Amino acid sequence: MHIRFHWRLPQGGDRPGRPDDCSRPDLEEQIPFCRDAEQLGIDSLLVDFGLEKADSIVLSTALGVATSKVRFIIAYRSGLLAPTSFVQQLNTLSSLIDGRISLNIVAGSTPAEQRSYGDFLEHDDRWARTDEFLAIARGIWHDGTVDFDGKFYRVEKARVRTAYTASDGSRAPQIYVGGTSEGARGVAERHADCLLVPADVPSRVASSIAPILRKGVEVGVRATVIARRTRKEAVDAAHAFRDSAPAWVHGPMTQLVERSDSHLLRNAFANASKEWLTPWLWTGAVETQGAMSILIVGSYDDVAGALLEYHAAGITQFILSGWPKREEMQIFGSEVMGRVRRREEVA
Amino acid sequence: MNLAPLRFHWSMSAAADPKRRTQARSALSAVPDFPVLLNFCRMAEECGIDSLLTAYGAHRPDAIAMASALGVLTSKIKFMIAIRSGVSAPAQFVQQINTVSALTNGRVCLNIVNGHTVDELGCFGDFLDHEGRYGRTDEFLHLCNAFWHRGEGLVQFEGKHYRVTNGRLGSRYISPDGRVAPEIFVGGNSATAEATVIRHADCLWRFPDTVPVVGGTASRLAAAGKETGIITSVIARATREEALAETEEMREQFDDKARSVHEQALARTDSVASRTVYGLARQAEWLTPTLWTGAVPFMGPSSVALVGSYDEVAGALLDYKAAGISQFLFLGWPDLEEMQIFAREVAPRVREREAAAAALLEKAS
Repeated sequence: MHIRFHWRLPQGGDRPGRPDDCSRPDLEEQIPFCRDAEQLGIDSLLVDFGLEKADSIVLSTALGVATSKVRFIIAYRSGLLAPTSFVQQLNTLSSLIDGRISLNIVAGSTPAEQRSYGDFLEHDDRWARTDEFLAIARGIWHDGTVDFDGKFYRVEKARVRTAYTASDGSRAPQIYVGGTSEGARGVAERHADCLLVPADVPSRVASSIAPILRKGVEVGVRATVIARRTRKEAVDAAHAFRDSAPAWVHGPMTQLVERSDSHLLRNAFANASKEWLTPWLWTGAVETQGAMSILIVGSYDDVAGALLEYHAAGITQFILSGWPKREEMQIFGSEVMGRVRRREEVA
Repeated sequence: MNLAPLRFHWSMSAAADPKRRTQARSALSAVPDFPVLLNFCRMAEECGIDSLLTAYGAHRPDAIAMASALGVLTSKIKFMIAIRSGVSAPAQFVQQINTVSALTNGRVCLNIVNGHTVDELGCFGDFLDHEGRYGRTDEFLHLCNAFWHRGEGLVQFEGKHYRVTNGRLGSRYISPDGRVAPEIFVGGNSATAEATVIRHADCLWRFPDTVPVVGGTASRLAAAGKETGIITSVIARATREEALAETEEMREQFDDKARSVHEQALARTDSVASRTVYGLARQAEWLTPTLWTGAVPFMGPSSVALVGSYDEVAGALLDYKAAGISQFLFLGWPDLEEMQIFAREVAPRVREREAAAAALLEKAS
């Protein structure tokens, strides 16, 4: 199977000169980014969800009507929208942009953030609710009409008149589930097309994902990439990336992990005690740049080789980000992807 | 008399459906015809329409997604997004609306509705009765407003339906005129709907009735500093005879099937607004020389219509204005053509007479 490459969409506040304002869409920057991704052969763009950010469905709608090929992986949580209403929104969006949407269903990472949304459930219950949420949503997509009486949701004859619309014939968006806890894995097994795991040593990834692969669910890796002509240039860039975080970040990031009940976040920080997990897998930026900043670092060939190691371990998709954000995607698309494709063909 | 010019809005819900509402809802595909709707938005901009309503319901495309897509491709028209409580968490809803406002520079307002049909509500997991839904809407709007007006504070709330602690959001409502929250309309004819406007909103949308009845609503709301608007269909033609000929032509298309669709709808609804209008239609086909209920048994409550010559319709609007009405939300058969007639023929007559009234008042003072 061909490896699929996705990229994380930069948020409004990621642009120099627009500090601290992730909550406003930055179409002037984001539309060209999406068009670059289309040209480079990036499959989808991940649109984050969070309290500090623009709404991911609304933002994907605006970007979707300005593009023609690239897809959007919309991050969302259960507990925000009634499942019927959620399906209605996504179906409407699918009809506007020919089904170029997928979902990244997450459970939310801090109880404090969830309480702004009126969500007082603890970690495991949030996954249990997500399970019901997806059961209803997928029921509407695949069966048309759903009756459901669960612990968190009850609907009678739930259906949505606006059909999911995609010229490739799909009847529902592909579903990615992100998380490393038992709850996340259970939901992924029952409902997802692909489980997303953070980057780790390929052999560890291989053994941890074996059970889920046996269930027929794909597994994708989330990582940050810095590829340069030589390894030395890449390592220098990685250090610069680590140091680019403003000084105030370090403390808050550690506090965030302390407040968080996300297994994924905690594991990422636990891993960060050893800087180089492999010659190309560096955790040095996690403390300042966050859990998704486990870096794949190296020359173009090193990075292509690393991705193929994951592929050999059973990984079929990647959701990547890079630094500098736009330039790194261009480097990756023009230098690394071609190398991966050539070596895929040889294999 | 209020000197501010009347504001005119139009419904986009059936803009792509020339035979609006003669079919059962279950027969509609509800997949939006985007090019037709985008064209409708651009025509509405040319017609000087203030905002376009996108309604809410299981048989319709989602209003927020529609407004987002249409909003980034237009420049002037506003989108009136219909929403019920009970389908989204208040903070998440505010976040969506804030994002739409940022994409459109504040071209978004809200129409809060209560839902009307029990089985359709169950589809969304909503099993509360009419008053229960309004009770939840009361908390919902309280919380939405708390997020919009919080400044640097955090939102705390513990109610029957919602609970929030230390609530905040990164996003703000974006507008060119300094508004920190969207304009909020509430649709309904019940006393509870009026109370909801007084507590949380800017303007009530009610169906038309005789001028004294509508004036009663308007004076109650005006006493609380709130506006009243009328949601109505309209048929305006060069002469009264031509307008009446349109109603006759519609009458020929009415059949027992359409009537039974709406009889079933009436039997299932718990909406006071819907019941009131079906009741008016039983009372008289013409409530006033310009207010026609003849289509209601076949096409539903929103087909109660202002019918007449350009001058008569303009006059009827100004009579309502004199009774305290400040905004109208129109539907037409079909919408695009009627909107263009309205903009070309009726609106200028209204503006002329508004200007004359203003001049007269200035002279007198």
